[in-house]
Amino acid sequence: MPRRSRRPRTTLLLLVLAAVTIITLDARGGLHVVTSGVRSAASDAFSPIRSGVNAVVEPIGSFLAGSVHYGAVREQNQKLQAEIDQLKMQRASSADQIESLKQLSALLNLPYLGNLQTVPAEVTDFGSSDFAATVDINVGRSDGVQLAMPVVGAGGLVGQVASVSHHTATVRLITDGQSAVGTRYGPSPGSLAVLNGTGSGKPLSADLVPSNTPLTNGEVFTTSGLQGALYPPGIPVARVRASHTGSSSSQETVILQPEADLAHLRYVTVVLWGPSA
Amino acid sequence: MTGRDAARLSLVVFLFVVVQETVMLDIRIGGVHPDIMVLLPIVAGIIGGPSRGATIGFGTGLVADLFLPTPYGLSALVACLVGFAVGLATIALDRTAWWLAPLAALGGSAVYELTYGALGSVLGQPQMLHVALARIVVVVSVTNAVLALPAMRLMSWGMAHSSTEGMPTSDVGVGAAR
Repeated sequence: MPRRSRRPRTTLLLLVLAAVTIITLDARGGLHVVTSGVRSAASDAFSPIRSGVNAVVEPIGSFLAGSVHYGAVREQNQKLQAEIDQLKMQRASSADQIESLKQLSALLNLPYLGNLQTVPAEVTDFGSSDFAATVDINVGRSDGVQLAMPVVGAGGLVGQVASVSHHTATVRLITDGQSAVGTRYGPSPGSLAVLNGTGSGKPLSADLVPSNTPLTNGEVFTTSGLQGALYPPGIPVARVRASHTGSSSSQETVILQPEADLAHLRYVTVVLWGPSA
Repeated sequence: MTGRDAARLSLVVFLFVVVQETVMLDIRIGGVHPDIMVLLPIVAGIIGGPSRGATIGFGTGLVADLFLPTPYGLSALVACLVGFAVGLATIALDRTAWWLAPLAALGGSAVYELTYGALGSVLGQPQMLHVALARIVVVVSVTNAVLALPAMRLMSWGMAHSSTEGMPTSDVGVGAAR
């Protein structure tokens, strides 16, 4: 009996040790090249399967949704038949297309990017993990995208490329808890602060803003562009929503709203730029 | 385990990955998507006992980690712990009872998500606790409880000739399908 109950525990101990070793080596860089390479290969291999299955599953999902709401669908269909001529004339002005056009037009005019080379991309998915704020985009290494490149959207900074495969990439949003962006604010040359993500859908918080700094609501923080910074200078990041200083605090508590609408991203621009560029 | 057994198990894991990466990622309930990869160590633990639960959990966790932005190996660590715990908790129970898999999926998934956030936080990712953890636990646990019986059926096929601690796998499979 003791031998029988000891074996599973030994197995568990060995597996836990193996997992902790993998996590440690990955975090410290020793294994990271291997794991990111394997992740990239898996993403490349899975990309056509994902597209194929989605092409089959999406119409089935729509059909099932229609079956469940048959009465409502029939009523809606009659209504739509009556309105079809009118809708044909107004087709171009559907809210969906307007939103897409708005985002695309805004991306064509991003003055803060200057002469930097860019690649437009479409957002294909809103993150594979509930524990991280990421989006997947439809461009990858074959389009010149590399790890850590900045990603911007209409309004300002969206995030940074966290992993890249041949045709796709994952972008870590600035709202992710792991994100930290070096910024400038105030009159030129500007003071420095670090904006930290606090989670998907949540505002950003500022670090290194001294207490009693006169900040006005709506003031925009832009990327600092310091030597070795992760982002080129001058990209709008977030706007002050509220600020206050605690009685014994040496730092101002600043809550900021990202300039880019991260909840409704459809199109983004990857800036082909790295810290050494 | 023969090459044929390994192929069957790999096929089951592949099927789960395909469904997770296509159908499940498109489903959002309160901003959270279901995670059926969590089901694999749970049903493996019920069918195969603590050792097999831990081993299969480790393997399926490494596969799940390929598609996640969180630290590589974290899913493997949590999945082997959960697979072992479910195997241990159910070893003395009647594993042919139809309610066992949904109940184990409900509890096991909740423990998985809480452990995942807590261990991620301990291993240098403090933001993993600054998420809607309660919502994640509810969505993942309930969807996995609903999907537990078909998952049992699939895993019973995948582990058809694997050794179990407690009872023959064929009996478990029949019980789960009942």
